[in-house]
Amino acid sequence: MPERETLDVDVLIVGAGPSGLSAALRLSQLQKAAGGEPLSVAVLEKARDVGAHMLSGAVLDPSTLRDLIPDFEAKGAPLATPVHDDRIYFLTRGGKIRFPFTPPPLTNHGNYVISLNKFVTWLAGLVEAEGVDLFTGFPGADLLMDGDRVIGVRTGDRGVGKHGEHKPTYEPGVDIRAKVTIFADGVRGNLTKELMRRLPLADGRHPQLFAVGLKELWDVPADRLAPGTVIHTMGYPLRFEEFGGGFVYAMPEGKLSVGFVVGLDYKDPMFDPHVAFNHFKLHPLVKGLLEGGQMVRYGAKALPEGGWYAIPRCYADGALIVGDAAGFMNSMRLKGIHLAMRSGMQAAETAFDAVRAGDTSAARLQQFETKINDGPIRRELYPVRNVHQAFGHGLVAGVAFSGLSLVTGGWWPRPMHSEPGSDRMEKLADYYGGGAVPDGATGANKPDRQLTFDKLTNVHYSGTRHDEDQPVHLLVQTDVCHTICTAEYGNPCQRFCPANVYEMVVTEGAGKRLQINASNCVHCKTCDIMDPYQVITWVPPEGGGGPQYDEM
Amino acid sequence: MILVIAEQRAGTLNRATWETIAAAQQIAAGEPITIVVLGSGAGAVANELATADVREVVNVEHAALEPYTPDGYTAALQQAIDQLAPSLVLLPHTYQTRDFAPKLAARLDRALITDATGVKTTGERAFVRQMFQGKLTADVVPQGPGPHFVTFQIGAFRADQAARGAAPAPVRSIAVTIDASAIRQKPEAPFQEAKQAVDLSQAERIVAVGRGIKAAEHLPVAQKLADALGAELAASRPICDSGWLPMERQIGSSGQTVAPKLYVALGISGAIQHVVGMKGSRTIVAINKDADAPIFEVADYGIAGDLFEIVPAIVAELKK
Repeated sequence: MPERETLDVDVLIVGAGPSGLSAALRLSQLQKAAGGEPLSVAVLEKARDVGAHMLSGAVLDPSTLRDLIPDFEAKGAPLATPVHDDRIYFLTRGGKIRFPFTPPPLTNHGNYVISLNKFVTWLAGLVEAEGVDLFTGFPGADLLMDGDRVIGVRTGDRGVGKHGEHKPTYEPGVDIRAKVTIFADGVRGNLTKELMRRLPLADGRHPQLFAVGLKELWDVPADRLAPGTVIHTMGYPLRFEEFGGGFVYAMPEGKLSVGFVVGLDYKDPMFDPHVAFNHFKLHPLVKGLLEGGQMVRYGAKALPEGGWYAIPRCYADGALIVGDAAGFMNSMRLKGIHLAMRSGMQAAETAFDAVRAGDTSAARLQQFETKINDGPIRRELYPVRNVHQAFGHGLVAGVAFSGLSLVTGGWWPRPMHSEPGSDRMEKLADYYGGGAVPDGATGANKPDRQLTFDKLTNVHYSGTRHDEDQPVHLLVQTDVCHTICTAEYGNPCQRFCPANVYEMVVTEGAGKRLQINASNCVHCKTCDIMDPYQVITWVPPEGGGGPQYDEM
Repeated sequence: MILVIAEQRAGTLNRATWETIAAAQQIAAGEPITIVVLGSGAGAVANELATADVREVVNVEHAALEPYTPDGYTAALQQAIDQLAPSLVLLPHTYQTRDFAPKLAARLDRALITDATGVKTTGERAFVRQMFQGKLTADVVPQGPGPHFVTFQIGAFRADQAARGAAPAPVRSIAVTIDASAIRQKPEAPFQEAKQAVDLSQAERIVAVGRGIKAAEHLPVAQKLADALGAELAASRPICDSGWLPMERQIGSSGQTVAPKLYVALGISGAIQHVVGMKGSRTIVAINKDADAPIFEVADYGIAGDLFEIVPAIVAELKK
């Protein structure tokens, strides 16, 4: 049997997204400036190619980019589309009301519509040019710890068969040991989740609140919508009790980013974010933009919306947490890329000093928290600290509080209470008043396969691929499914998963059973977040598997 | 001159080579075609290929070419291409091609277009290639000095459309020198996933089952039809995922891509993941309870009905 390899580095970065790559780039900049013995840096990325798992709207606030790469234009940053028009609509079933003005947090003047996939691919090129080792196709599978100290990460095994047997291609994961490990494993990152379970990093903090975003990339006639137009919507098809909204961002040559975001704290167990997305596309405002065009890509990703009070302690002995993994996102501005990058930069500065000083203890790495508190991240997130929680009281309360917080700086007598989103889902009997669940409770229509699609067809356009002969990477205590869950919640996994991973199939004679189509998984993490019993654990599948979000 | 690189293993020609010959004939427009076959003792394969309507078949014989190694093939083909000076080199997009073609193209520093599904000959010659899982197709024009390399997707051209010559084409041998010690790979016996491993891409008829079969116990219904037709049994993903059939019998984006003469889809709804793996089949027959199932959009013949009634009736009819 092949032996497990080990690798020792000074700084290990888990995840090659905006935060992880910003950290890597900042480390090499500091290295150049300081001279001396070079630090060894490694970056792990579960996708086969850097950027393949990147999904965002996206509108980029270039503030951090300017600080990190002042000559970003000369270096060819893919920022083709400056925002020149902001529109916000409140949608009703067939109509729309345009906001007379754009609220300041949603003003995008000076920002860019980007493809995060292209942006991250570009960033990775700069990082590689600095000689940093980028290990693509290597997920971080397990923490390596020595007591309370993080000493590195074990990557996932390869060549393990469906039933756990070793195939001829078997290779055990590599132990990468590092003085500092920077966790940039994204929203609901599996290693950050495990770290927060082992160390009291979330004590005294609010539970993180999440949303899930579904997005399609469309090719439409080039004159449909001027490049740089940014449309946000509230209201239909959501009800007042659900948080979220839609977006359409126009890029050159008739490329539209069309998406829908729903708070993963909805009450109705029959609610299906993908159905809401389909209704959104059929609304006259959106339908008029898409008709005659072609959907070319699909994807989904959760996002952390809890804000300031939901951010855990982001340092431990030998460890820092950055980006979406920590929850550095501004849900009021609908932006997080610049904060992810900023947190990556500041983590790199902290890690660099710590390694050079020969002290990577939590006490030393606490500098990261100081940098966040004294810098642009707190300045941006603290004033909107209660906003998403206010939406927990409904759309009207949320909008009212958002408006108020612009004046008051977000003041409220105390941090607004919130609970994990999965706890807010009500049981069928409670939500539907004890009666039978009405037919068509999900509101799903038959997809027309022009504008609207079933989940399975959509998954095809996510480019998702996994080796089929590997263990299921969604660890589910399935004994709950066909017994308690069917009765209490009607198996909501079938609805909240945007990729048709979960299916209750009728077996002859044996009732229903949960079938997990793990190879459909687009790595959005919604199931890990929203399952009401919290019995689903997402672990990384074999490296290289997952979506292929070209141009997303 | 257009050069087709044939594929053989242990004296057996890979059927996909004929598809590539058909492609070459479609492209040629008067330009002569040469087929090159590599191996040790592959003379019979060369003679088989000589029935094609081509200018000549070139046999590259060398002991170091058996068994196949990417280093051996690259060295031999580099010399063969130097001697023959083709303008275009065509290959079937097989696993073996995927293994050595990028290396060969890089060695010669020439353009390589992989997995093409067609060719446009009006105006500048362009090769059609699928993008975004087949949602868009790109017309790709190779740049830089020739010869350009193009590999064709299995099923993109039809083997039976390869024109045969009135008389056998001449077969000649050319010599190459291969330094056996420079071959870095030491191949072992071909790996067999299972005892009854099947290469569905070589099957002429396939009967595929989907969820409509309901239970593993009902598979014999489909097997009887497959036996009656002389077909291989295959399946859509859920069937293999449930372990009712082995994974090598799975058709679709996460399984095999096939293009048989006859494809019978039983109880398969026609999710796009499945359709991309079989839409190149010449004749598609679908049987499904749901008349709105997308499989009927790609089917040449469709029966909306219960497969458990229809299939036994077809089997009975075939046995008459």
